[in-house]
Amino acid sequence: MWPRPGGFFTSASPSPAPQLGGVPGFRDLLPLEAEILREAQESLLGEMRRWGYRHVITPLVESMDVLDVGLGIEQRRRLFKFTDGRGDVVALVGERTVPVARLVAGKLRAAPLPLRLCYAGPVLSTDEGRFQQRRETYQVGAELVGASGPVADAEVIALAARCMEATGIRRYQIDVGHAEFFQGIMDAVKLPDEVKAAVRTALAARDFVALEALLEDTPLKSAEHELLLRFPALRGGAEILEAAGGLVRNQRSEAALSELARVRELLVAHGIGEVVNLDLGAIRDFDYYTGVIFEGYGPDFGRPVAQGGRYDGLLERFGRPAPATGFMVQLDLVSEMLTRAPRPPALPRLDAALAWSGPGLSTALRLGSTLRLFGMRAVVDTESRSTSEANAWWHAVGAANLVHCLSDSVVAWSATGQRTRRLPPEQVAARLAGGVS
Amino acid sequence: MTPAQQVAIAVPTGALHDGALSLLARSGLASLGAEELGRQLLVEREGLRVILVRPSDVPAYVDHGAADLGIVGKDILWETPGAHYELVDLRFGGCRLVLAVPDASSLDGPETWPPMIRVATKYPRTAAAWFESRGQAVEVVQLHGSVELAPQVGLVDGIVDLTATGRTLRDNRLRITAVLGTSTARLIANQASLKTRTAAVQSVVAKMREASSDAG
Repeated sequence: MWPRPGGFFTSASPSPAPQLGGVPGFRDLLPLEAEILREAQESLLGEMRRWGYRHVITPLVESMDVLDVGLGIEQRRRLFKFTDGRGDVVALVGERTVPVARLVAGKLRAAPLPLRLCYAGPVLSTDEGRFQQRRETYQVGAELVGASGPVADAEVIALAARCMEATGIRRYQIDVGHAEFFQGIMDAVKLPDEVKAAVRTALAARDFVALEALLEDTPLKSAEHELLLRFPALRGGAEILEAAGGLVRNQRSEAALSELARVRELLVAHGIGEVVNLDLGAIRDFDYYTGVIFEGYGPDFGRPVAQGGRYDGLLERFGRPAPATGFMVQLDLVSEMLTRAPRPPALPRLDAALAWSGPGLSTALRLGSTLRLFGMRAVVDTESRSTSEANAWWHAVGAANLVHCLSDSVVAWSATGQRTRRLPPEQVAARLAGGVS
Repeated sequence: MTPAQQVAIAVPTGALHDGALSLLARSGLASLGAEELGRQLLVEREGLRVILVRPSDVPAYVDHGAADLGIVGKDILWETPGAHYELVDLRFGGCRLVLAVPDASSLDGPETWPPMIRVATKYPRTAAAWFESRGQAVEVVQLHGSVELAPQVGLVDGIVDLTATGRTLRDNRLRITAVLGTSTARLIANQASLKTRTAAVQSVVAKMREASSDAG
């Protein structure tokens, strides 16, 4: 008889172990990561609240009827879809702007515009390749619904910039572009419709080799041809507006350029002129965005951390026509940047480890309550310990102080780097709390 | 990650290796011996960091920002589309992705294909998309090497593989019945690098663009 196969790589073992690593593409966040992510989320929502944005929470699940209205075909394809108990097709959200739009057109129908709303939560994608194999990511976003024009555009961009600052990212930049600049060029460029469609496809794929080949084959060369070919390089400060203005001869693009000039002025007034670049060649989902668009980049990171822009067409599809602009911050990227920073944020330590032996338990429990009232982090042991055991446990939990409760009236207090002292519990509580404030 | 002014470029091992090094030299960017790079895998020279990686890994290095730029065959990009910018056709490393069948096979044009054709390939995604766009049902068998062997032992009807001269195909008594696409080396760029270090990256791109068009 053959020996029974065994070992790590054997899939046909009789009682397979549960998948302790979790489902591929879904990540566990361990204490340090979870803490950094949560702090970053709080900083972002806090900054948004300071600008008058109200927090809303929309469900993780949305009806496909709603998502069909709001999302493009590619985004719908990547949704986790299933039927609920009633037979309706529902999906796990892949972004959170559409749910907010549903809210504004539905339950918030009577609320006067403009509305300033913000949100935070996970989004899911069936696509494994897109985001470092991650299928669940976290987004925090803000939407300004019911306001059009450069003042609203600039507000949202400035808010995005301050949000990046609030999380502790030190060096960052915001690239601002305009969807109408591109649409105007596509109107003006003299090409057959099928070539125009191919040009859009090539640009969406960021394939400038294909784009060049498409434009080379056409006899009519215009300034717009040149602009399309130079798309990745159309970046800079205010001077780029002049340069582009000299090349375009269509109203749509010209209007976009003057709107961008105004937004730039306003961003200087917001105090963030130095981090703003103009990017006329920004390539985004042009079926969705209708005006000023922007992306925020952190230091040495391959992808934008924040992105957003004007989407004046979406609310109308839900029956409440309204201009809108907003953005979202990719929370995973923010926390990754913070973790990788030269001095990553430290996990807040436990302030006190409260050990006890015999009759000291009720003292330990009372002391724990007192310290927590003062906002300290205190953990009480689950079993009675000797002095040496208590010391070992203290080092295992990694707290700043060990308080070994021996009786109703006496505790042994050890602080890192200091001699152990025997004191009444009230005195230790007072000293610890005093040290905090 | 790379300091603000330094530009990192991923260079592939394999068929495009020599052409890539020669292009870097002709662009006046870095003069590197294949032996030096092969030994060190990472060489820094006058503000340019050259990283040696497997051809199919180039898009990963660029998409994740470990390299600002990458030299990679179009055939790899067909298989692994990503978030990078494809900027320049570098005009070397030319080859064709072909459908080849055994000399003795009755298969030729689309009219001779069976209702379900079986092909072996290292390019499953590209092959499947090409047949599907022609309304042909296909069963793709993904292999990692010696694809030429598969039709000779009856595993598949034909192969979809890359060929420069056609020599390997002839040696294995295979003939080309269709060309799926033509591939050359491309210069790709990380999207954030183009935005956050525009001047440094664009200057490297411009030099390589010029050097590659001189040759072509």
